[in-house]
Amino acid sequence: MSKNITLSIDGKEAKVPEGTNLIEAAASVGIHIPNLCYLKGMRGIGACRLCLIDVEGGKGPVVGCITKAKEGMVVNTSTEEIQEMRKFIIDLILSMHPLDCMTCTKAGVCNLQQYAYDFEVKESSLTRKKFGYPVDEANPFIKRDPDYCVLCARCVRVCKEQGTNVLDFMGRGVGAKVATAMDKPLQESECTFCGSCVDACPVNALLEADRWRKGREWEYETSKSVCLSCGNGCDISVSTSEGAVVKVKAGGEDGSVENYICAIGRFGFDAVGSDARVTSPLIRKNGKLEEASWDDALSLAAAKLKDSKNSGIISTAGILNQDAFVLAKLASDVIKTKNIDTTASLYADVDSMKLSDQIHLDALNTIVVAGLNPSQWDRVLPALDAGVRKSVARGAKLITINADDTRLGSAATVNIKGNEATSLSQLAKALIDAGAKADKKLIDAVSGETVSEDMAKAAELIIKAENTAILCSPSLFSAARNLSLAADIKVTAVPLEANAKGVMSLGLTAKGKTFSEMASGGVDVLYAIGELPISKKPKSGFIIAQTSYMTDLAKVADVILPAAAPVESAGSIISYLGKAKDLKSAMAPAGDSKQHKTIFMELSKAMNKPVKESAAEMKKAFQVSQKAKFTAFEKKQGLDANAAELVDTLNASVINHSRLLWLKEAQPA
Amino acid sequence: MLNETALQEIQELKIRYPERESALLPALYIAQREFGWLSNEALLHVANVLNLPEAKVRGTASFYSMFKDKPAGRNIVQLCTNISCMIAGSDGLVNFLQTRYGMKPDETTPDGRFSLILMECIGACGTAPAMLVNTDFHENLTEQNIGEILETYK
Repeated sequence: MSKNITLSIDGKEAKVPEGTNLIEAAASVGIHIPNLCYLKGMRGIGACRLCLIDVEGGKGPVVGCITKAKEGMVVNTSTEEIQEMRKFIIDLILSMHPLDCMTCTKAGVCNLQQYAYDFEVKESSLTRKKFGYPVDEANPFIKRDPDYCVLCARCVRVCKEQGTNVLDFMGRGVGAKVATAMDKPLQESECTFCGSCVDACPVNALLEADRWRKGREWEYETSKSVCLSCGNGCDISVSTSEGAVVKVKAGGEDGSVENYICAIGRFGFDAVGSDARVTSPLIRKNGKLEEASWDDALSLAAAKLKDSKNSGIISTAGILNQDAFVLAKLASDVIKTKNIDTTASLYADVDSMKLSDQIHLDALNTIVVAGLNPSQWDRVLPALDAGVRKSVARGAKLITINADDTRLGSAATVNIKGNEATSLSQLAKALIDAGAKADKKLIDAVSGETVSEDMAKAAELIIKAENTAILCSPSLFSAARNLSLAADIKVTAVPLEANAKGVMSLGLTAKGKTFSEMASGGVDVLYAIGELPISKKPKSGFIIAQTSYMTDLAKVADVILPAAAPVESAGSIISYLGKAKDLKSAMAPAGDSKQHKTIFMELSKAMNKPVKESAAEMKKAFQVSQKAKFTAFEKKQGLDANAAELVDTLNASVINHSRLLWLKEAQPA
Repeated sequence: MLNETALQEIQELKIRYPERESALLPALYIAQREFGWLSNEALLHVANVLNLPEAKVRGTASFYSMFKDKPAGRNIVQLCTNISCMIAGSDGLVNFLQTRYGMKPDETTPDGRFSLILMECIGACGTAPAMLVNTDFHENLTEQNIGEILETYK
């Protein structure tokens, strides 16, 4: 940890870690230094010159984003001279910027508009320049209008830092332009349409493609939620207007490497208001699904579950903790069945989910990624891929261990290809050889291993690092955990669904029949929760589908209970990094749909044995700790669900009923 | 496509620098030497050989004026028209080049013999006007001697 230093900013005393830049130092005492190109968490580039400040004893103004705070420094952020300079810079920028704030979608959140207001620059005193560059708007996700661009390079830098590298400057000087590789439209570049550039743009040069005339942001209501589309469970900020979602953006901590969302998280919201939603309970009558009342649907479901001696419950692991808690109670106390399991069992075991350490990606100096192939381009754990690449760009060292080639491997300091369990055991040996004090059993187990040059280098990176974590596939969790017996390493298994850790910790794990057995029809009455990846009709006598969307399974169900979509639900999840994340409901559930837990509670009432939520009991379920013990270096079998396929089928309803479908249909292969 | 020798040269550049990006400028020079200018294909080729993002390669090439984004003539005439050269009569030379050789700024003569670029100061103010032809330096230019000099470039 770097030591704290003290400096004076506009007469206020600021205490910040050594090396903090002056924009952050000023922010820490509530002083905003104007800027257009600075991005928290990233190195300053001093491009916009707005953050000019005066350091006493210096030769002249310096840029705040690059200048580091030093002990005893006396900083003045807004002397008359500096304000004059800033005003001139705004004047210069405005000479090339359209003055159409009255119709501009970005009005109200445009940084340039704000500064022009602050510095009273009504219009530029210089000759107006207009470049008339073509607008890139052939895709349904991101609209790029270079005429608004202030050349701050925020988009170029976020794209580069996360490793997608789609954008860069073309040309130089005032005529420079942000462009893709050959100035082609985005869809012909390698763009993944994650929209990180949209979040970063201070003006109207980058915007969601459909925002025109959908209201300004001051008219929106915005709430914090979590995207439940995949194992990353990213923080999102959901804006609604007139009861519909109009904008989703990354909602992570400002400046954190975890502050990223992919195209599914950002643009999948179209599905929430689509006609694929199930908005009323449905009961099959004479072979056809017909609308029914909640009472009728629940009593039918209750009667079938009561009568059956062989009923079973399957769910996705994308339901919230509160939902999962009530469901576990419903299964054990009311339906009284051991046949309960989730999609998490296709790729994870209970220990890997329950015993994983909590990790803060930003704090890591060395990151080991083992047995995982995260990819922004394939949308498999994209936030993990982006987060790790950003960490590497900020100085962290990456070690990848995989049986096959991975795209992330090319960003690694050490990329180890080969049997993963064996590689982990060789890495343990390398750590011991490098002087790590290890558990006796571990020393004995790996004594026969040979250590390659790469392995020795990896061990050195781990030993030198202040904070190291291994992010691994659940199948490698117990093997990877052995390494924590040799060095101070945190180990976390990465699931493929947003709340696998919560759901498994709350007891939704196979005690009787497994997910696969039930999904193919191993029970008479099947209670199926969520948008399950089942396309073939299970051979069950009676199917109850509780879902937000008309999935393939719902189409063949006997009763459908309409569930609220994630943005309409409130509760919490345990993220892949072990952090509890809260979801606030951004809007009321569509039609008659209700949140999962509410349906479970109402069903329990219909079965005459009401169950309730208990925050205290739920909390207890998460308080597990078990010291790592040596186990054999083996990869657990049977947890090898195809990640890309599973995520794709779990999100089929969202993808097929939103603009994301365009990626499948329109993008050239 | 780049020939074997050029590829070999670029491969050698890759190991010369700790960062691959550092090899970009010299690699672009090699590509320009081979093709005469940097077409989109040439840029993609360099991006592939160096394993750098295409946007980065194109961005870098478009930043520097010494990289050509259209075909150039066999001989590149770079005439300075900054203040010292201007005072010493470079504007007259520009007119002379146009009437005598049909050379226009930023264009190539139809016979492909010359491309003319009006360049910024080359630090020869004391012996202005000055120009570069390819990599050769010429100073104290007059309408008379500029013609004689250019006759030696075919």
